[in-house]
Amino acid sequence: MPKINVARKSTSVDMTAMCDVSFLLLTFFILTSKFKPADPVMIDIPSARSMTKIEKAIVISLSKDGKAYLAFADQEMRRETLQKMVERVGERFPDLKGITPEQTKQFGFIEVFGTPLEDLPRVLKLNGGDYKTYQDKLPGIPTDSVHNQLADWIWAARYANPKMKIAIKGDKSTNIKDVQRVIEILTKDADVHRFNLITTLGGGATTEEKKEE
Amino acid sequence: MAEIDTSGGGGHKDGKVRAKKMSTKVDLTPMVDLAFLLITFFMLTTTLNKPSAMELNMPKKEDIDEKDKPEVMECQVLNVLLDTLDNVWYYEGLKVADLQKTTFAGDAGIRKQILRTKKRVSKECGISPKTNKERPMICLIKLLPGSRYKNMVDILDEMDIAQVPVYAIQDFSPIEKEAVDNGGNVKTFAKE
Repeated sequence: MPKINVARKSTSVDMTAMCDVSFLLLTFFILTSKFKPADPVMIDIPSARSMTKIEKAIVISLSKDGKAYLAFADQEMRRETLQKMVERVGERFPDLKGITPEQTKQFGFIEVFGTPLEDLPRVLKLNGGDYKTYQDKLPGIPTDSVHNQLADWIWAARYANPKMKIAIKGDKSTNIKDVQRVIEILTKDADVHRFNLITTLGGGATTEEKKEE
Repeated sequence: MAEIDTSGGGGHKDGKVRAKKMSTKVDLTPMVDLAFLLITFFMLTTTLNKPSAMELNMPKKEDIDEKDKPEVMECQVLNVLLDTLDNVWYYEGLKVADLQKTTFAGDAGIRKQILRTKKRVSKECGISPKTNKERPMICLIKLLPGSRYKNMVDILDEMDIAQVPVYAIQDFSPIEKEAVDNGGNVKTFAKE
């Protein structure tokens, strides 16, 4: 009987192709990625079927307890906004005039901020670690009619970049009064009549409740 | 200590110096491992999905000329009220006494009523002499204090789904507030 010799094949696989693909993907993700800005509070966005994407915007975040935070898309704009702000309200808050160019630069790195103006110079002086702890309990931007700083910020931001859209990012259980207050500030004080409500697709009320039926 | 090896490339008989033949293949497995690790990291941290947004236009509260004001007939109007317990209340026209309760639940909820009113308006309300077009349905949204933001987004979404031509967010009247508080009954106010 003839013996059958099974040809012995090497078990090692050529990894070059796989390596190529993985690095291609890696490059893609590195280039397209933008790190999530660390939100000072968790915001559970309500869902809607709207598919319009919003890329760069002045985002007013409203937390569950009605605190307002602001986020701008790019650093340059943040710095310009701060400068405009100092010009606008410098009379009322003389401390703001003492902000150095260094601190303005520092302000550019803050992605989400929610500090009353009177506190701003102090906050900008904080170093990295101290700022981190401060950021975990941001007090929010005052929106009441006496200290309507949100309107000033919006005004300054619009001045820095008039084309930027404005968006409201509210939590599902934010009280409607707080949202209406912000809308009122936008329409009355900042003269903005067209803005966006940030929503997420799917997993929302309609599908949830359909399951219940 | 540091000596230079001058012995030549091994003891070849013919005295030629020959480099040892090495395989040119490199094991790429660790490199692939590393690449995938980084891919995973970037995939998880990236915000590839940009947030979607719903556009909202609010009117200017300045003085509008009397002739520019849109003409509204009672017949066109559906009032929607949102309360603190995530309920939806609605009534047509001015009949607060007809206040009914519903929910946001899919097709059976407020959407059904919106579509019903829409159909009725196009059948019954006729043509506006001003614009020479069919009178559109108008939905007035009233958010009672303490209601959640989610409800506001939901009702605006319903407006989008049912394609309500005209809708506005309005302040509620005391009658409406009381009617909702009383569970849909209008007690103190005479039925209009």
